[in-house]
Amino acid sequence: MKDYVIRFSVWERVEHAAVTVLFLVLAVTGLPQEFFWQSWARWLILVMGGIERVRWVHRGAGILFAVLVASHLAIALVQVSTRRVKPSLVPTRKDFRDAVTMMRYYLRLADEPPRFDRFDYRQKFEYWGMVIGSAAIIVTGFMLYFPVETARLLPGEVIPAALLLHGREGLLAFLVIIIWHLYNAHLSPDVFPFDPSIFTGKVSVERMEKEHGLEYDRLQAAEQLKRAEAAPAKSAPPAGTGSAKPGL
Amino acid sequence: MRGKTTRGRRGIERAKYKTAGWLLGLLTVFAFGPRVAAQRLIAAASSPSNSDCLACHGNPSFSIQLGDGETLSLYVNQKDFAHSVHSGLACTDCHSDITSIPHAARTFPNRRAVSLAFYQLCRQCHFEQYTRLLDGIHFDALSKGNSNAPTCVDCHGAHSITPPNRPRTRISDTCARCHAKVAKAYAGSVHGQALAQGNSDVPVCTDCHHAHDISNPLSSQWHLSIPQLCARCHSDRKTMQKYGISTDVLTTYLNDFHGMTASLERSERVAPSQFTVTCTDCHGVHDIERVDSAGLERIKGHLLAVCQRCHPRATANFPSAWIGHYEPSLQHAPLVYAVKLFYAFFIPFTIIGLSLQILLHLWRVVVNR
Repeated sequence: MKDYVIRFSVWERVEHAAVTVLFLVLAVTGLPQEFFWQSWARWLILVMGGIERVRWVHRGAGILFAVLVASHLAIALVQVSTRRVKPSLVPTRKDFRDAVTMMRYYLRLADEPPRFDRFDYRQKFEYWGMVIGSAAIIVTGFMLYFPVETARLLPGEVIPAALLLHGREGLLAFLVIIIWHLYNAHLSPDVFPFDPSIFTGKVSVERMEKEHGLEYDRLQAAEQLKRAEAAPAKSAPPAGTGSAKPGL
Repeated sequence: MRGKTTRGRRGIERAKYKTAGWLLGLLTVFAFGPRVAAQRLIAAASSPSNSDCLACHGNPSFSIQLGDGETLSLYVNQKDFAHSVHSGLACTDCHSDITSIPHAARTFPNRRAVSLAFYQLCRQCHFEQYTRLLDGIHFDALSKGNSNAPTCVDCHGAHSITPPNRPRTRISDTCARCHAKVAKAYAGSVHGQALAQGNSDVPVCTDCHHAHDISNPLSSQWHLSIPQLCARCHSDRKTMQKYGISTDVLTTYLNDFHGMTASLERSERVAPSQFTVTCTDCHGVHDIERVDSAGLERIKGHLLAVCQRCHPRATANFPSAWIGHYEPSLQHAPLVYAVKLFYAFFIPFTIIGLSLQILLHLWRVVVNR
């Protein structure tokens, strides 16, 4: 029996790689604009070929990012509505209970951390934070890209508000990625120095049991069922590739 | 004790150098002194004195015929010269090519050629101003063959030079001799009107354009430097307080998209391909008015026209995207203020929360071990 499960589909891995590249491009071209009066920002803009070019690169990457987010949400909506996958990222009451239990565990009021399903409350928080943040940043980004058209529909004051919101939201996203995502994917003692699962798609059984116990139990149950059905066959299918299709 | 000894020793050293310096000085005087003194004597003896010059040039009817038939007076008004800043100088200090009298006659095709032949005399003393002139737009025009471009004497005069900024209005008047249209617009502006009333806070031509190293005001570099130019006075709290003018004008402009663009493009070497509005595009260049005298409706109409220069399809709502030279507040731009306030709390809240969770996680990992 294999000692890993396939956690992320190829498309999900591609999505992550694309969003990584676009995020970096957008941060490198965007943050110096937010801090344009600082000498490091001015230096960076000059090195990248001046503000006009930096803006065009930012807009280009922004359009690609908008397409990526839109296609991600569209595919997710179709998959969930046709019941091909279970909506595993929708926050539930259990998530709030889990958060409280986790805090109790951290403070040594509980002996065991909560057992999680496919995504724990922190992952859901990061996911929805990114979806809402992305929506805000994409909408305001297009408002700034087309200010004349925006002012035709809305009061002019929306434009400086969009400019401020776009920059602050970008800064927040950058800080969350630097502090939270970098910790969870690289610096946390659980994964240090690097959690490769989003690139390989694989997660060790050991980690599955520890971090996504409920999902792992479900996978095992499904596999046993399958093995029982396919008993006459010579070899068993590898774990996690069968009925338990990775969800949202 | 030790300190005293060192000081004493240092004193001796210094005395040694002093003596050596004196000796060297004396030697120099003995070696070269007689030569320098002799040269002076020869020069004094040979170069004509002012009264020698005035023997001819003090005669009001003394003149020559120019190549184009015009008569050029060679009269130097003694009274004017005595009142000039150069009254202590000898004629030959400037006209150093004249070493004996009578000097050789010179011919000129026209009056302009006379000015162009003599303005170079000024640089013998005023070399700094001369080199600045070389960087300026007037000299650029002259070197490209425009003989009407002004040189030293056109603005300062020749024998009757008095301080060019006394009174201060004289500066504008000097420029107005050629730039009449601009001078008229300036005279009607808030700055020009105040100047006429004796206000010394307002800028005259040279405060913005400089006197000698005048830049091309139509260049993009100049256009992009206008915010800093205006801010020299308009960010000065002490001056602006007198007139009840906000000193936030520069920062509020820089916080806007266009201000940021202008500020960044200014440090680039290549001229930008797109135009960016700076102060003068909305407020006017020489015909700057008080904002409150124009009336809100007129300003809005004027602003739309300014916006449409680059955003031709802009509609009536568009100018209000510029929230004015105000820091956002509940009164001015409440929506912008709300966004600002929200993130001022939300960013620290999120970051501190996530950091706490990380620290708790680390702590529990350590405890488990």
